[in-house]
Amino acid sequence: MEELLSDFVAETQEGLEALANIVVALEADPSDRERLDELFRFFHTVKGSSGFLNLPRFEKLSHAAEDVLSKVRAGESVPDAAIISAVLAIMDRIAELCAAIESGDTLDRKDDEVIIAALRECVAQSRGEDGASGGEGEGGTAVEREDAQARLPGAARTIRLPLMLIDQLMNGVSDMVLARNELSRKLRVTEPEPELEAAFERLSSCIADMRDTISKTRMQRVDRLFMAIPRMVRDLSRELGKKIELVLEGGDVEMDREMVEAVLDPLTHIVRNSIDHGIEMPAERRAAGKSEAGHLRVSAHQSGSQIVIEVADDGRGINTEAVVNKVIAAGIISQQEVAQLSEQAKVDLIFTPGLSTASQVTAISGRGVGMDIVRANIERIGGVIALTSEPGRGLTITMRVPLTLTIIPGLILNAGGINFAIPRSAVIEILHDNNPTVSVSRLGGGLTATIRSSRYSMIELEDVIGMPMLERQGPRSLMLVRSTGGNPYILSVASVENHEELVIRPAAPMVMAAGIYAGMTLPDNGQPMLLLDAGGIAQVAQLPLIVETADAFGSQGREDAVADGSYAGLRYIELSGEERVVRLSLVERVEDIPLSQFGVSAGRPYVTLGGRIVNSSQAVGESDCQPGTREVTCLRIRDDLHELCYPIRMVLDIEDVSAELDMSARHGLVAGLVLLNGRQVEVVDSMALLALAGEAEVRPDCGVRPTRCVIGDANDPWNREILAPLLRQAGFEVIWGGEEAHAERGDVLLLTADDGDPPETPADAPIVRLRRASQPGGPEDDSIYRYDQDALIGAIAALGNGTVAA
Amino acid sequence: MNRLYLFAHIGGTAVAISTNEVDAVVRLNELSVVPGVPSHVAGLAALRSRVLTIIDAAALVNAQQDKPGGALVRDGGSHAIVCEIGGHGYGIVVDRVDDIQTVDSTPLPICGRIDPAWQPYAQGVIESEGRPYFVVSLSSFLDSCLNAQAA
Repeated sequence: MEELLSDFVAETQEGLEALANIVVALEADPSDRERLDELFRFFHTVKGSSGFLNLPRFEKLSHAAEDVLSKVRAGESVPDAAIISAVLAIMDRIAELCAAIESGDTLDRKDDEVIIAALRECVAQSRGEDGASGGEGEGGTAVEREDAQARLPGAARTIRLPLMLIDQLMNGVSDMVLARNELSRKLRVTEPEPELEAAFERLSSCIADMRDTISKTRMQRVDRLFMAIPRMVRDLSRELGKKIELVLEGGDVEMDREMVEAVLDPLTHIVRNSIDHGIEMPAERRAAGKSEAGHLRVSAHQSGSQIVIEVADDGRGINTEAVVNKVIAAGIISQQEVAQLSEQAKVDLIFTPGLSTASQVTAISGRGVGMDIVRANIERIGGVIALTSEPGRGLTITMRVPLTLTIIPGLILNAGGINFAIPRSAVIEILHDNNPTVSVSRLGGGLTATIRSSRYSMIELEDVIGMPMLERQGPRSLMLVRSTGGNPYILSVASVENHEELVIRPAAPMVMAAGIYAGMTLPDNGQPMLLLDAGGIAQVAQLPLIVETADAFGSQGREDAVADGSYAGLRYIELSGEERVVRLSLVERVEDIPLSQFGVSAGRPYVTLGGRIVNSSQAVGESDCQPGTREVTCLRIRDDLHELCYPIRMVLDIEDVSAELDMSARHGLVAGLVLLNGRQVEVVDSMALLALAGEAEVRPDCGVRPTRCVIGDANDPWNREILAPLLRQAGFEVIWGGEEAHAERGDVLLLTADDGDPPETPADAPIVRLRRASQPGGPEDDSIYRYDQDALIGAIAALGNGTVAA
Repeated sequence: MNRLYLFAHIGGTAVAISTNEVDAVVRLNELSVVPGVPSHVAGLAALRSRVLTIIDAAALVNAQQDKPGGALVRDGGSHAIVCEIGGHGYGIVVDRVDDIQTVDSTPLPICGRIDPAWQPYAQGVIESEGRPYFVVSLSSFLDSCLNAQAA
């Protein structure tokens, strides 16, 4: 019984959440039969269950609502604002009762009667106005009820599970992944055995699938986040006498359920603010030449490993004057300092702690919770919040939050011989200390780094953790990190090693007590690692807290440039010698790639990266390598769909590039010229660059079929289980020797060294020979070691005259 | 009273730990060093997908005498008692694990003037095969760990 009751409460609460939107939509369009039916079904279900569970108060409330709705269904009354408000009141009451059952409280029974009476009143009134006659036979309602039941939607079956169980499952899968990694390490040292490896490969893919599935159980549609908004907008707009058109977009985006919870409060606050402070009264809007109804758009979309949630209104925007005056009145910054600020910096002052711009504190958003709390909450979960205000035209608030709380992209760095992780979101920029734009000075034991005329405090991580500074070759890395509530500062580490997706767990209290850690993680190598807390390090190192505006004097030029719409650009030298800039956000990373991984197939240059084939912007040769190596420096360019490898001579620096071109000269990849440090530099056209990356998309239309690989021995398990899947994954078509299809011109024949007779092929069919041994048998042995994925795929792509259907 | 105890040695002293507190006993391999914490936090170790915080109990107990305990742990190969307290996994390093046995008698009060270092931990004495052992609780080590850091 207990269990039935808690199920009932949970189901009812869920139903209520989902229905709030429907009721509001129904008000807008009273003729919407489907919504009406849905609403009716909900009350009907609640009534049925509460009767069964002997909850008379639920039964009474839902019966009253059902009654009214059935009249609406029968066309006897129209759901006007009063009726909808009354129905919402019933829903609220049911929610309160649910909460009361959960907490064991009691609620006054009389209130139920009042609410029900209010509902009946509304109906009577609306019927009076419509002049519709009574005639509600009990029989009619009964028919309707059965009707409703028959039309219950055939939704997917679901069950409820405690979250704990899912977490345990998740841990189990993590264990499995680690066990798999260990097994794979052990297998690598033994002689390769095809059958064992095939089985292992299968196990691996099963585990990977399972991991994906389990992670999905933690995901929730953003809809859940949006559920409360329509109701809130309706209630607030009525209360304030404003008209608001709400648009919700991207509810089907999924994010971790913990994340949904963490974002809920900040989002609610922002929406409230928009309605209360942003959108004007109808008369005011009319006077300003805007439509009477304010527009409020809440949207979500996924961008890489982040979810972007945007709240945009077309209200009055942020009154920067008012914000500035408040900040000055509060004595946070001085008049002179304000004068130095750019417009965007003034807008950002809204995040100053303890600030509210509303001239009078209203019941809606004047609760002492300001944008500073919103920002702190978003940053706590590794997110970023940004404002774009157009005075008189509206405000857009963008929140970027990671997909999950528990898995974050992290940078692995080394200091004093120990590896640490740091959330990538905390790192603004990484430079080597031998970069000409950096100068480090030491004064009275304190370190200051000046980067492009901005001064930052600098901390050596070894100093904070009390480890010796190890002698090592090469430059140290300087990371510009942002710390919650403080200024960005420079963290100097021995090296930045790697970039990995990390599963973060809380660390034990005695570790957290050190004040510089945010958690711990177990990376793929199985060696536990600590996650650094950038803010904590700044505190432990007792960095001076300079008010952000104070150092704006030094970085004035930079701040202004940002405000004028500049972007960070990567300055580099092309293989052909020109100096160009490319938008930094397009560059995923810079990598040195061995020359042997480059190739040309069907006139198209490509590069093999980790078993995949990626377009290369141009073919490279020996002369393009860095002196003394056989590697080519490449920019890895990526947007949400495409990937491109862009070989260059060398990277020069990161610059602030004005979005405005000094001279527009569109030619091929070049969009125009800008002046950087007094010299003209060509700016790469982002569109043209991405078009280059996307070219693979058009290939299937050209009628070129993918390269077919004919595998000699169809009976060899290794060929079947490992080679064929690998080739298919890389985009090749695989057929088996000896099958109905004979090899044709252009196909590539794959043979393992000791296979039997090759199948029938045109005499000139190119052959790739694989060998089992890792070392070649002799100087004339041109076979490829069969686990050398990159070489294998490269060879096939180079020999085949088809293409890769990637 | 019929209880199962794990008998072990910490810093040369014989102790008995109720098996209710013990998840497992493992042999430690490589530890990840945690800088910036007192020396009795020996590091982190991976136990399958769990990460254990390793506490060097001997270093903690002998903190007053300033005996180095860390060296013992970092050699690897020492044993740790795995337990879960407050949602975190810990490994308490011991010199050696002797036995697991049921003891029928209730713990006896402590007689004699014991080393003050052990005062916060020893809750009583039980005897097994004629030899006395301090009855200790793993959580008392962790508590004193935190207290030591708070001080």
